[in-house]
Amino acid sequence: MTAVVVVGYVPNPRGEAALEHALQECRRRGARLVVLNSSRGDALVDEDLVRGAALEQLERQLGESGVPFEVRQPERGRDVAEELAAVAGDTSAELVVIGLRRRSAVGKLLMGSAAQRILLDVDCPVLAVKAPPGSSS
Amino acid sequence: MGALGDLANGFADALTPINLLWALLGVLLGTAVGVLPGIGPAMTVALLLPVTYVLEPTSAFIMFAGIYYGGMYGGSTTSILLNTPGESSSIMTALEGNKMAKAGRGSAALATAAIGSFVAGTIATLLLALVAPTVVDLAIGITAADYFALAVLAFVAVATVLGSSPLRGLASLCIGLYLGLVGTDVLTGQERFTLGVPQLSDGVDVVVVAVALFAVGECLYVASRLRRGSVQVLDASAGWLTRQDLRRSWKPWLRGTALGFPLGALPAGGAEIPTFLSYAAERKLTKHPEEFGKGAIEGVAGPEAANNASAAGVLVPLLTLGLPTSATAAIILAAFQGYGIQPGPTLLTTEGPLVWTLIASLLIGNFMLLVLNLPLVGVWVKLLRIPRPYLYAGILMFASLGSFAVNADPLDLVILLVIGLLGFLMRRYGWPVAPAVIGLILGPIAETNLRRALAISDGDLSVLVDTWFSRIVLALAFLALFGPIVLRLVKGPRSTPEQLQADGHLEHRDRDDAVPTGADREDRS
Amino acid sequence: MSTAAEHPAEHSAGHPAAQPADRTAGRNTGEAVMSLLLAAVGVYLIVEAGAIAVPGSANTIGPRFFPYLVGGLTVLTGVALGIRTLRGDRGPADDSEDVDLDAPTDWRAVAVIAVAFLAQALLINVVGWPLAVALMFAAVAWALGAVGIVRPFLIGLLAGCIVWIVFVKALNVALPGGVVLEYLTSWF
Repeated sequence: MTAVVVVGYVPNPRGEAALEHALQECRRRGARLVVLNSSRGDALVDEDLVRGAALEQLERQLGESGVPFEVRQPERGRDVAEELAAVAGDTSAELVVIGLRRRSAVGKLLMGSAAQRILLDVDCPVLAVKAPPGSSS
Repeated sequence: MGALGDLANGFADALTPINLLWALLGVLLGTAVGVLPGIGPAMTVALLLPVTYVLEPTSAFIMFAGIYYGGMYGGSTTSILLNTPGESSSIMTALEGNKMAKAGRGSAALATAAIGSFVAGTIATLLLALVAPTVVDLAIGITAADYFALAVLAFVAVATVLGSSPLRGLASLCIGLYLGLVGTDVLTGQERFTLGVPQLSDGVDVVVVAVALFAVGECLYVASRLRRGSVQVLDASAGWLTRQDLRRSWKPWLRGTALGFPLGALPAGGAEIPTFLSYAAERKLTKHPEEFGKGAIEGVAGPEAANNASAAGVLVPLLTLGLPTSATAAIILAAFQGYGIQPGPTLLTTEGPLVWTLIASLLIGNFMLLVLNLPLVGVWVKLLRIPRPYLYAGILMFASLGSFAVNADPLDLVILLVIGLLGFLMRRYGWPVAPAVIGLILGPIAETNLRRALAISDGDLSVLVDTWFSRIVLALAFLALFGPIVLRLVKGPRSTPEQLQADGHLEHRDRDDAVPTGADREDRS
Repeated sequence: MSTAAEHPAEHSAGHPAAQPADRTAGRNTGEAVMSLLLAAVGVYLIVEAGAIAVPGSANTIGPRFFPYLVGGLTVLTGVALGIRTLRGDRGPADDSEDVDLDAPTDWRAVAVIAVAFLAQALLINVVGWPLAVALMFAAVAWALGAVGIVRPFLIGLLAGCIVWIVFVKALNVALPGGVVLEYLTSWF
């Protein structure tokens, strides 16, 4: 059984950065990549969920990397932290990679921190990646 | 041209800066609410009606005109980009429009829908202005018995033609007629069916019932079967309307208008049938039959034009006879009554300036929508990111606001809830909601005319079929009542939109074929 | 979506075929009951119409005639629809963007929303519209699956206060604001 790296992916620079690092980790460890692109699915439109042409593009990009991969897109009313913890447990992941949002103290107070919840919920090591500076997120 | 001169005066009233502001506000509010999932034009108008109550009549109706047309535009925008037709009149637009958007021609689909709506709305509104005085001249001569016959035709047509099941339409109509009876009898001052509740002696407020059936009922129904998951928004940034698209669109626009306006003006009003017919016609006449089902621009242009033309057509019987033929029209009638104005043949003479300002505002709102709608598509789609829990909680908040603002009486909110629960059950069992609203508002009018006719004749029922007009209208009502039932028994239920798309015939089909397909819903995950 | 099969989430239509059949039966009984209730309303109309006082005059058609007519139509429709439903006819449930026709009915959500709305109606004159409606907002959002209860409440309170200020202060609608909000905005 090969090792598994799970990455939380959203279609923005922070998600791309996380994906990039996750691919590197997979190559280093010879691991399989599980890309989690989840949505709570409680609105009619969720632009964070990759679909159509963007999904094909993502799968092509992953295919070219040569790393064995799998994309999961659950929509069952759970937030990212819960889904990540579930997938990590489910696949006995060796590592979880997440993209970290640059956020002010006030923003954190209002929205809570998904990253903090992920750190608490996920049992394996977590690698937090920030988007390269200058990119809008 | 008397009508055009009056219309020019209407424009003069409507084109003041402050009134243009109300029109703009109405258009934006109408579109924004119309875009939201689960909210059709009737619910948009019902929810926003109380907002207009605080204004003086002219401003209120200017804003109302914007809300009316804006709600229609909002619905078709999302039906193309998301393939989620909110109401039956948008189904046809969604069929081809969504296919176009999938093929990367979303922008062209939106453009042909928007320009088609504008063209059809403008022509139909001008037709309304031209036809209305003539209809009023004819209508001045009609008797109370004639009017009763017209009301019966409207009842029957709305109940049996619009829904999928005539009996359920009648059941809904009965509920509306019953609610319309509650209150004080106008002619004798006797209280009826008030259950001893003093507040009910004024009757059940139409706004409360409309908001209850549409908004509260919808919220409860959605809560009972909440969909999880999202849908894909198709990209509409590329594929602008080409010269060839325009060449293929302009005839469907005109044909759609020609179908939509007269059919909308008939007592069996509403936009569903004209859009179906327009789609079927375009499919037959097109030079590109192979594109139908794959995103034919004619299939968007025609139905969308028919949809908007019928919205103007519905106003003909409403403004000239006081006869509402769709749920939205019934709510507009309630708005008139809220200002103590009773639409009818005398409306154009007593409230002439108001009516002409309303018609002018429709034209202005239509133009604003053409200019604003396409650039703002991105904003409208953002609205759809509101999570469902907040969206429906917000709808209930506004339902509470509107109903409470009418009388400032908490009892109205209790009535709102009770009728809302009724609306929930009606949705659940497939009883159409519109006949109840129309029965509620038209029932008392029908009763008054019936009793007037019978008072003149000293109780002789034959007065009801005394004129040729009433005979023909009652015969039509009889046909509308039993025609669909007979057709259904003989030939099976009507084609579903998907069948129409597949084979292009609008006709009653054998029961065995009539398996409703969910094919067009597959891309919901 | 490649992932739907791996993750049979609650919402996917992967339920065994037995369940729709059960629901059909349930729906039929429900609609039959509703039809018979409608017929009962018709009977009530006819009975009560007889009790309406008719002012003594030569007028042949009084306030009773139309109720009799409506009552008769209602009884006929209710009975006919009841019989048809019991024989297995059923109407297509209303479709809507946010409705999943395959989902089992969530009666709990309906009950929570109804109770919340009723409570709001009774609380308006006690605590003011913004607070009453914020409580309802929170309960409705919770019933529809929002995360937490504090955030929906705060959002509802904020929206309620804004709407109250716009409608009461700018548009002069009569809407009780509650002691605190009315005190805070009394300078306006």
